[in-house]
Amino acid sequence: MSNRRLKNNKAQVSDIMTWVVATIIIILILVVFIYASSLLAQKTKIIKIKEMKLEIPGEEINWLNSKTSFAYLRSSEEQRQIIDKWKEENKNE
Amino acid sequence: MNKRGEEKILAIYWFVILTLVAGGIFTMTILFYNHPYDVREVESQILINNIADCLSRGGELNPELFEGEEFSEEFKTNFLQTCNLYFEAEGGEAEEYYSEITIYNASRLDLPVYEINAGNKNLVASCNIQEEKKYKREARCMEENLFSVKGGKLYLIKIMSAIGKAKENVK
Repeated sequence: MSNRRLKNNKAQVSDIMTWVVATIIIILILVVFIYASSLLAQKTKIIKIKEMKLEIPGEEINWLNSKTSFAYLRSSEEQRQIIDKWKEENKNE
Repeated sequence: MNKRGEEKILAIYWFVILTLVAGGIFTMTILFYNHPYDVREVESQILINNIADCLSRGGELNPELFEGEEFSEEFKTNFLQTCNLYFEAEGGEAEEYYSEITIYNASRLDLPVYEINAGNKNLVASCNIQEEKKYKREARCMEENLFSVKGGKLYLIKIMSAIGKAKENVK
């Protein structure tokens, strides 16, 4: 009779342990996801201007470049060289 | 423990877990959607585009910039009105915008021939430290350049803009 009760108690402890571990895992996963969502909000909610520019392979089109292009067309040969030189110097900026 | 008691405890346990998961999802959603979008860089670019549009049209400098052969002082004074810009903050707070325009004769790029600035000049101080993450609440700055012609002369226009508005864009 007492042996049976002991076995029964062991089975119950094992059952409870399973649920406790499962609960801890669930809470851990939730904490990780909550942290990830707060990180994601900080990182992805910065809208960069690069994302808004229309890009053609090899060149970038934007409002100001188009204005400079108009000026280029109206410039003399000497002035065009100044623009070309300036563009070359500021290519990486 | 009898079978019925076990089922009751398990039901309560499941209910607690369900509440936990629902609370977690709720927290995640709140955390993500409560964070504002930081659009200051885009706003800064839009401001620069509008100023550029006001100063140069079709590659030629705006005639209003000149009084005869010289650059106009009146344009400088009425810059915001002429370019349809409104920098004033609501409720008497400090202005959240600053813009600075420097025009150079393309043949001499070290000496500006005309300068205009408008808005809250204190924002400029944050331009140099904006790359550091801990200063994300500081103003966002941007500088763009364009060329324009007038009367056979070529000019380089440098436009710098700074946007504060940390309250609306950063948490």
